[in-house]
Amino acid sequence: MADQEFEIVIIGGGPGGYTAAIRAAQLGFSVGLVERAELGGVCLNWGCIPTKSLLHAADLYREIGAAAEFGIEVSSPKINLAKMIERSRQVASQLSKGVQHLMRKNAITVIKGEARFVDKNRVCVEREDTNDAYVVADNFIIATGASAKNLPHIQVDHERIWDARSAMTPSFIPQRLLIIGAGAIGVEFASFYATLGANVTLVEMLPQILPAEDAEIAALARQAFKQQGIEVLTETAIDALRMGKENLVATINGAEKEFNAAILSVGVAGNISSLMLDDIGVETDNGFIVVDPFLQTNIRGIYAIGDVAGVPCLAHKASHEAVIAVEAIAGKRPDELNRLHVPGCTYSHPQVASIGLTEEAASALGSIRVGRFPLIANGKAIAINDADGMVKTIFDHSTGELLGAHLIGSGVTEMIQGFAIAMGLETTEAELIETIFPHPTLSEAIHESVLDAFDRAINF
Amino acid sequence: MPKEIYLVKVGMTMTEGMVSEWYIPDGEQVRKGEMLYALETEKINMDIDAEASGTVKHLVEIGVNLEPGTVVGFVFEEGEDIPSNLSVAPASTAPATIEAEVGPSETVEPQKSQMRKPDDGRIKSSPAARRLAKELGLDYLSVTGTGPGGRIVEADVQAAKDDVPQPVAPQPIRAAAKASPLAKRLAREKGVDINQVIGSGPGGRIVQADIDAAAQKGAAPQTVVPQATDAAPGSIKITGMRKTIARRMFSSLQNSAQLTMDMEADMDDGVKLRESLIEEWKDEGIRPTYTDLVIRAVAKALVRHPLMNSQFGETEITLLPDVHMGIAVALPEGLVVPVVRHADRLSLKEIAVESSRLALAAREGTLGLDDYAEGSFTITALGMYGVDSFTPIINEPQAGILGINRIFDGVNWRGDTPVKCKKMNLSLTWDHRVIDGAPAAEFLVEVRELLANPYRLLV
Repeated sequence: MADQEFEIVIIGGGPGGYTAAIRAAQLGFSVGLVERAELGGVCLNWGCIPTKSLLHAADLYREIGAAAEFGIEVSSPKINLAKMIERSRQVASQLSKGVQHLMRKNAITVIKGEARFVDKNRVCVEREDTNDAYVVADNFIIATGASAKNLPHIQVDHERIWDARSAMTPSFIPQRLLIIGAGAIGVEFASFYATLGANVTLVEMLPQILPAEDAEIAALARQAFKQQGIEVLTETAIDALRMGKENLVATINGAEKEFNAAILSVGVAGNISSLMLDDIGVETDNGFIVVDPFLQTNIRGIYAIGDVAGVPCLAHKASHEAVIAVEAIAGKRPDELNRLHVPGCTYSHPQVASIGLTEEAASALGSIRVGRFPLIANGKAIAINDADGMVKTIFDHSTGELLGAHLIGSGVTEMIQGFAIAMGLETTEAELIETIFPHPTLSEAIHESVLDAFDRAINF
Repeated sequence: MPKEIYLVKVGMTMTEGMVSEWYIPDGEQVRKGEMLYALETEKINMDIDAEASGTVKHLVEIGVNLEPGTVVGFVFEEGEDIPSNLSVAPASTAPATIEAEVGPSETVEPQKSQMRKPDDGRIKSSPAARRLAKELGLDYLSVTGTGPGGRIVEADVQAAKDDVPQPVAPQPIRAAAKASPLAKRLAREKGVDINQVIGSGPGGRIVQADIDAAAQKGAAPQTVVPQATDAAPGSIKITGMRKTIARRMFSSLQNSAQLTMDMEADMDDGVKLRESLIEEWKDEGIRPTYTDLVIRAVAKALVRHPLMNSQFGETEITLLPDVHMGIAVALPEGLVVPVVRHADRLSLKEIAVESSRLALAAREGTLGLDDYAEGSFTITALGMYGVDSFTPIINEPQAGILGINRIFDGVNWRGDTPVKCKKMNLSLTWDHRVIDGAPAAEFLVEVRELLANPYRLLV
């Protein structure tokens, strides 16, 4: 079969890959996209999106349980797990079809199969049920994403030891659930299963849960989870996890404890093994591809974006890098990604969202001002019965530069983007103080937090 | 009878010009009043309209320098035989210049031509380009122009047809520098003149990194390198305005005996006066500048020092009857010197209105011929860039030019006590062939005293 030729070929159709394909098509390139599974990647099919449907179901369940507070009496709500999962699958499938449509609309050739490099301008796509296809291109963008890591002594079996994918399509709600790793994924599953009635034990090696977050916010999250009945163990390792007679038996701090299921969420590693990168000399480091500020690897014409190009492994970082890489190929001199301007969101209850430097990191760089405003002093938060939380802001003491924002509580994953815009525009406290925030909103807490950093808070 | 198409003479000093673009291709139809060709001279670019309808035949190529009045083509009416060889002018003989045709007037008024109007900002485009863009559904403003002065011509639109329209590359604009709030604050704290900084952010916005870089360089002003295209660095074609500036500046230094002196003027009252006038005239939309104060002061002083308002000739020095003040206005592609006419007869308010009109028209490329004519003295301001002193070059054939510098916090001595006060250096270049040092200094003292006692500018 003759080689198919393109100007740009993208390997991987997740949020990084499909965005790169569309931007490349917009710039007039002929584009091919290789995807081994579903368009939309893990994010859309097995990550961000379906879990948001599940977490919303959990939020709804919790709120119905609290409806009496608002004068609505409901007989006890019942969970239909199958229906809950079915809806999350349907949402994922709808969005994946949306990506298919976008590929057609932008005249992007989608090639189903697993890609491996033959040389720096040629990729072999191994396809099921048919011959291998060879694809030739001037430029390749590797956007293959990342997969959950196993531990040396604990491997996912999908039966009782779950990865994220099994955890979002469970056949039962485990009565006792062990979650190993308290990053965003572990914390979201802890929140989900605890709300549905599981007794959750959340275990983290590091001193704090959500290790990427500001320590104060992480401590508040831990406190909230504890109140919800989640057992949180930090600086703790699982010494062993084996299948007992009926249940999993975990050895924690020397003691044995039984669980009905466990979720392994101890981080991810780049999907590079099948690409045969060594054959063409692409440099990798610890499971991730090494790239320059414009996402080019050490091999000219080969780029890598998103999870496979290193942390933070976030969909919005991938799609942003997608545009940078394509525009760099087009000679458009894009701006580099500013990692400090990448926001992060965790959709647990309470939600956690942040951008920029933590207090610890900022104070290590120089003198800072810190503002805090608790949601208990925010009218809207009290009105909607969701007043646990805080907005924390960090400013450079001398220049007033906004260095970081860390939020926990209701709606904060939608609020963080206000800070993202402010940081992108290099806002100082002066503009934020001058900004008029609508009343009554949760976002007023942003204003008050900024005011507090300069000893001017009004409502606290 | 075919109608001749002349290379129109604009302005008495025009010695040569060229057809920089034919809007109507050879052999195509034109309607009377439609734009026919682009005229480029040393001083001005303008579009020339057809005076008759018919078939256009070109006699000259674009880009060839010709004397004004040269026949550059013909318009043949319907039914007229078009000779196959047009190198010989048919039938009528072309008049030597247009002046002959229009009689005593020295200059053809540009009624038949159309000054270029900016469509949006300073993006110039040909009608054919706009029409084609419309037909193709392209936003012509997004097309990069390759014509004179970056003008968008039909070929550019053709070229862009198969391309995705690209936004015009953002250019840093010094006068109205966009900067992030943090950048502005850092600039203040680090003492960086933000107007000297070139932004690297979206749309040329000045961001923190730019200020940091400028502060590290000791705020050494960065030079704007005129960007030809990304693809071809290294050489910039010297055309119209650049050529004129080069020739005139060089000639001025070669042909006169010019020298410069500086004098410090107290500006405390001038600053206060300007601030109160800004407030007072706010509702009328009039905003006086320091340059306006200086125009007024110099105009008054020139009346009392007529030698400064003169021209040096071979046998005599001509004292000029009128004070017409030239104001140097910087443009991205060079500079122009529009003229405030009869500046000595205008009030400060009238000067403010006129100078702001001229500055705007200069930036928009809509200055008329009258706006350039007969300057008798020139004022040039670099104070906004923090300049303290410079040696302006005389705008020939004038006798003097005054440079306006930065206003700074200086010191006056009251007895033994230093008192902080606003100061400004005046840099006067004059032609020693006309005036000696002492009378030149007397003139400058007069300007200084007027600025130091600015109530005198109001009477």
